[in-house]
Amino acid sequence: MADIRFGIVAAALVSLPGLAWAQAGDANAGKAVYERKCLLCHGEKGDGKGPAAELLDPKPRDFTSGIYKIRTTATKAPTDQDLFRVVSEGMPGTSMPAWAVLSEKDRWNVVAYVKSFAADKFKEAPKKQELPKDVASSADSIKRGKEMFEAIECNKCHGTEGRADGPSREELKDEWGHPIKPANLTKRWTFRGGAGRTDIATRLAAGVLGTPMPAFIDSVEKPEDIWHLTHYIQSLGPESPGYATLITVTAVTDAIVDDPNADFWKKMAPQNVGLMGQVIQDPRNFNPSIDMVAVRAAWNDKEIAFHLTWDDPTESKPDAAKKLYADAIQLQFPPKVDAGGERPYFLMGNDNDGVYLLRWEQGKGALEATANGPTKINAVTGSEASGKAVYQNGQYRVVIKRARVGREDRTTFQPGVFTPVAFQAWDGGAGETGTKMSLTSWYYLRLEEPQSNRRFVIPPVVALLTLAAMVLVVRVANRRS
Amino acid sequence: MRKVLGAVTALLLALGVATFIGLPGATAQGGTGTIEADVKYNGAPQVEKLKVNKDTEKCGTEAVIEKVVVGGNKGLTNAVVSVPGAKGGGGKAVKGMIDQHGCKFVPHVVVMSPGDLEIKNSDDILHNIHTYSTANPSINKAQPKFKKVMTEKLEKPEYVKVTCDVHSWMLGWVAVTPGPASVTDKDGVAKIENVPVGKQTVEVWHETLGKQTKEVDVKAGQATKVSFEMKK
Repeated sequence: MADIRFGIVAAALVSLPGLAWAQAGDANAGKAVYERKCLLCHGEKGDGKGPAAELLDPKPRDFTSGIYKIRTTATKAPTDQDLFRVVSEGMPGTSMPAWAVLSEKDRWNVVAYVKSFAADKFKEAPKKQELPKDVASSADSIKRGKEMFEAIECNKCHGTEGRADGPSREELKDEWGHPIKPANLTKRWTFRGGAGRTDIATRLAAGVLGTPMPAFIDSVEKPEDIWHLTHYIQSLGPESPGYATLITVTAVTDAIVDDPNADFWKKMAPQNVGLMGQVIQDPRNFNPSIDMVAVRAAWNDKEIAFHLTWDDPTESKPDAAKKLYADAIQLQFPPKVDAGGERPYFLMGNDNDGVYLLRWEQGKGALEATANGPTKINAVTGSEASGKAVYQNGQYRVVIKRARVGREDRTTFQPGVFTPVAFQAWDGGAGETGTKMSLTSWYYLRLEEPQSNRRFVIPPVVALLTLAAMVLVVRVANRRS
Repeated sequence: MRKVLGAVTALLLALGVATFIGLPGATAQGGTGTIEADVKYNGAPQVEKLKVNKDTEKCGTEAVIEKVVVGGNKGLTNAVVSVPGAKGGGGKAVKGMIDQHGCKFVPHVVVMSPGDLEIKNSDDILHNIHTYSTANPSINKAQPKFKKVMTEKLEKPEYVKVTCDVHSWMLGWVAVTPGPASVTDKDGVAKIENVPVGKQTVEVWHETLGKQTKEVDVKAGQATKVSFEMKK
């Protein structure tokens, strides 16, 4: 009798809404959702071998292993809440989208079904990964974080400045033997488990299962170093890329500097442009290496120059036998800016309608070119483009400069005109060449109107005149009274 | 007279100690024996070499990955010979110790009783202990230069692969065995002491060449010879 009563109480407790909410998923109902939404990548058996898996990098999760990257537990299995969060918010920087379109109930059901692929791995009660006592971010904390970053040698994988270019990069493999890339710490928005402070601290403390990223909770000098490291990582890059929609070319009166590291360029704010893999023409690039280029640009009466910054983990040494090609980047323009807004085909034009290119290529430097499609690039004879490039700690910085007024079919850049522009980039070290590239669709470029010094003269003059007039009025009024 | 007395006392003491040690392992037949295993491999050694691109002052410029090491007289090195069935057979629990030294796991194969594994970092650079196991929880913990020693628990019998992701060539094995065990030397010979007398199953395991077992009859105070020929 007592047993039955206990059973009823226990059942009532479990079924109380909210209390055991996390366990409320129904695996059978989840199966139907899984087969509609998840199977294509994760496979019918949950082994990560769906029909689309081959094209993806990183590969879809193999649920039968019970190994999950993102967890808030000190034990091996994640909590239901951890799985629910990944389903709901997706995994930035991977092919896993956010499934917020599904109802919460459906998502909990999917969580229950996904767990059933490795039920024995979830037998152990999850133990929360405790974090050390919180420390507020400050200049001192960031400084200490940098010291610890160097002491525990995060650079081995993540690189000296965090751009995923460390010396161990090429050797890294995941649990299944697939090559795996370290996180680029300057791009927090691509962190698989989220970019929040607690997210970063939890990954540092508990590690990322199934990957080379180890747990550091017992491997820092003092427990609170976890927070200092978190703050240092946050200081390595912006919170979000804040992608630009329009590229502004700053008007300058003095000469444009060639050196990509000059203060001239550092003073300008970067305009970030997102790049995608080229997947229209074979061979396609489903997993592009370069996902962003930061653009700075300047013009004066005579010249125009583009300063491009992008992350590339290796300064390639081209060797066709090893499938290593030259790193390259280019800006694409219509040869003539059409008043009606007509533009050539965005993928480097076609036979009828070509594009004009300002290109920088490793070993060749800056050059002018034209193209009638991605495989038909012709260098312009007598190229007048000049430029300089530096490669440092996993990043290229390149200046490409040219006369503002172009000869013949080379684009002329006029202030006050919206000039179409597109970008293409190749990471030769990742085997990218030809149609295997990262690119954008058309953007617009605007040359900022030169601002005269009159804005510094006229307003004070107007203010002075107004003051004088007021004084006069007051005086006249005083005299009359 | 004194000498005789002393000798007798020593003898009595020795007998007493022997009896005492023998107690936990005492089986129906009583006593323990030794197994001398001879492991041979009639194939070529497998050694991979890799150019090192970092930490060369600690790791050297060339890493050697020894997957199959064949010594004198076709003896197979680094094979684990154990008597898994002889739990607590006379021998003491063996604590595991592995060192990361010169960007290598030293020794390449560690034999330990279920319990603690002491992990050292003698290199003054970052390593990470990454184990691949199914019976025991797998571990992936960073061991920075200032963390000289870590202790991890391996409580279930298993052959556990150990790697370091920072230096991908680093490869080691930990054999967690409940019974007495030993690793073959450069000539492919392993000696296991304190094996309980009677019929025993001897297991030999090699990281690349797999497992074999053989039955032997262990006699008290005697060395029983057994030989294996490993195949691909």
